[in-house]
Amino acid sequence: MSEITDSNFEKASVRDTAFRVRMRRFFGVLQRLTSNPTTVVGLVLIALMLAMAIFAPWITEANTPDAYQMPRDWGAVRKPPGTPGHWLGTTNEGGDVFYGVIWGSRTSLQLSLYVVGSTMVIGTIIGSVAGLVGGWVDEVLMRIVDVFLSIPELIFALAIAAVLGPSFTNIIIALAMVIWVKYARIMRAQVIQIKQNDYVDAARVIGDSKLNIYLKDILPNAVTPVTVQATLDMGNVVLIGATLSFIGLSEAGIAEWGVLVSEGQAGIASGRWWASTFPGLMIFLWALAFNLVGDGLRDALDPRTEGR
Amino acid sequence: MLDATQASENVASVRDLKVHFQSKRGVVHAVDGVSFDIQDGETLGLVGETGCGKSVTGRSFLRLLPVPPGILAGGAVSFRPHGPCTACEGAGCEACAKTGRRASGDQPVDLLSISLQDMRRIRGDRIAMIFQDPGKALNPTLTIGAQMSEVFLQHRTAELLDRAGLPPDTAGAVRRFAAQEPRFGDGLILKFPPKRGQRAKLQVALNQMVTEALAETQVPNPAKLMDRFPHELSGGMRQRVMIAQALACNPDLLIADEPTTALDVTVEARILELIRALQQRRKTSVLYISHDLSLVRRICDRVAVMYAGRIVEIGTTEDVFANPRHPYTRGLMAAVPTAGTARGKLAAIRGTVPELVDPPLECRFAGRCPYETATCRQNDPSLQPVSGGHSVACFIDHPTGSQDAPSFDRVTE
Repeated sequence: MSEITDSNFEKASVRDTAFRVRMRRFFGVLQRLTSNPTTVVGLVLIALMLAMAIFAPWITEANTPDAYQMPRDWGAVRKPPGTPGHWLGTTNEGGDVFYGVIWGSRTSLQLSLYVVGSTMVIGTIIGSVAGLVGGWVDEVLMRIVDVFLSIPELIFALAIAAVLGPSFTNIIIALAMVIWVKYARIMRAQVIQIKQNDYVDAARVIGDSKLNIYLKDILPNAVTPVTVQATLDMGNVVLIGATLSFIGLSEAGIAEWGVLVSEGQAGIASGRWWASTFPGLMIFLWALAFNLVGDGLRDALDPRTEGR
Repeated sequence: MLDATQASENVASVRDLKVHFQSKRGVVHAVDGVSFDIQDGETLGLVGETGCGKSVTGRSFLRLLPVPPGILAGGAVSFRPHGPCTACEGAGCEACAKTGRRASGDQPVDLLSISLQDMRRIRGDRIAMIFQDPGKALNPTLTIGAQMSEVFLQHRTAELLDRAGLPPDTAGAVRRFAAQEPRFGDGLILKFPPKRGQRAKLQVALNQMVTEALAETQVPNPAKLMDRFPHELSGGMRQRVMIAQALACNPDLLIADEPTTALDVTVEARILELIRALQQRRKTSVLYISHDLSLVRRICDRVAVMYAGRIVEIGTTEDVFANPRHPYTRGLMAAVPTAGTARGKLAAIRGTVPELVDPPLECRFAGRCPYETATCRQNDPSLQPVSGGHSVACFIDHPTGSQDAPSFDRVTE
């Protein structure tokens, strides 16, 4: 055994094994992810739409006082795409479609991040408790989950949002209340399967505490399907959210794709297609991009494809 | 059974252990009144066919039973941790094979009734276990180094702090890291100065300890191995890692649950050699669970033969193999093919293992035994000595006094 001096402690920080190993793993997944062309398409789309959300104030000037409210230009209603100042045309109420499309990406990003972030945490905790404790706790939690799952997602979210009253925040709450059950289900199944593994027993055999076994042996092995589901839900949540907005469960006049589609749909019959088409296209691209990446991620994280 | 003078040298003794499983058809008596001792420094082989309860018995030492549906229905597993050798006060003498420690110090503890906290202190430190399939016993998301570290963090916090040059009364996040009791936010504290340096020193000390433990199992380039994930290693290498982890804290008792079953024969020989060498150097007692008779004969000092949740015969390896007294043991030995066995002729014991759902009061081997008589159907034989240290549970050696006692001379079929 050599003396630990400051000089070879310098070497130790260079030889930070955990970090290097993590990078190796990360690049491995990244490489498998980018070897799939459809996933690359999805990634590029997501990157573009994220850039759109981040740089929104630089692309179009923010509306005052509330940037998430559509600017109204009553002097230029029902203008077709190509009109100077309104590239993608305007709606019946003089809303700039281009502004709605750009700032709508921010709204959508908020919606999906809040909903997926909160439900992932809640679902993971509840699913883990059910899987780890088992017995009547598991029974009670899973019956609650069954009740939630027995009602179709959209209908259930619609009912909750309707009860809470029309607002964008309420849409987030409604979606979160509907979606957490999926994560609880996935997590419970994972935990039950993983805790029977020999390596969990092996960890118990060396005297590890229950918390440590959960954090080091069970959770890291269980998160893969949760991550995939979260990626898919990033797209699906926006789709359902836009549906709820479309039927008027969101505040009227906010820069949100669903609201914009609904504002424009009155004009479709009279040939003013643009107000609905562009935000509709964005919803489609958003959902498509996350679904492509989600599928790619599922393949890339599958341990059976590891090292291929 | 052992005589009284030897009793103090037992590192562990199992008394009337009963483990039941609740199934839909009734209570399965998987382990039904098993008693045996493990002497200090010996290798005890536990042989039997699949489902006879040998793994459950081994796991009960660490209280590793699936609860529920596994139910500890009774019995005791007392374990006597090593203390300083009474003859030489830890200096190392003949009696303790120069290790300075022997199983005569502390009072025995009942592993089945102590608190979980005490159990955790024994697990991995005083009693370790090697699993059957090393591919499944290593966490796929942790590197070998990280996995090996756990055992040191769990049981060798003081030594770790000492090696890292930190005071033994170090507190806060650094201490919690060294004792593996992480709290929320500790990771962040340890990433930045002033604690970052201490964390790095601990990592160096930890890496040293892991490398030393790995080097003991003769793996090539242990420092490099630490960065590898389990799936990047061969089966033999994985089992070496498991052995290194199991023996890292110098346990007094090692439970080896068929450690070579998943390996091929050439690797098996080397792993056995390794276990044998490490065991003899450290004077660790080993409970070797296996279904391979020839292997047990080669490496074990004593053998216990299990059948249907009971021990039917126990004794020194020479006694049991030279003079098997139980028909089941005889059947097992006859079933081992040798070089002289004619083609197409493999001996087998007729019938199958009985269902252990509410077993009736009769010999468990009745129905498969070639020597069985009416006595065997009416009474349940218990384990009785035939000679010093050799016991058997059969009416052939211990007749009940009735007329139709079974005998090896009379095949009844």
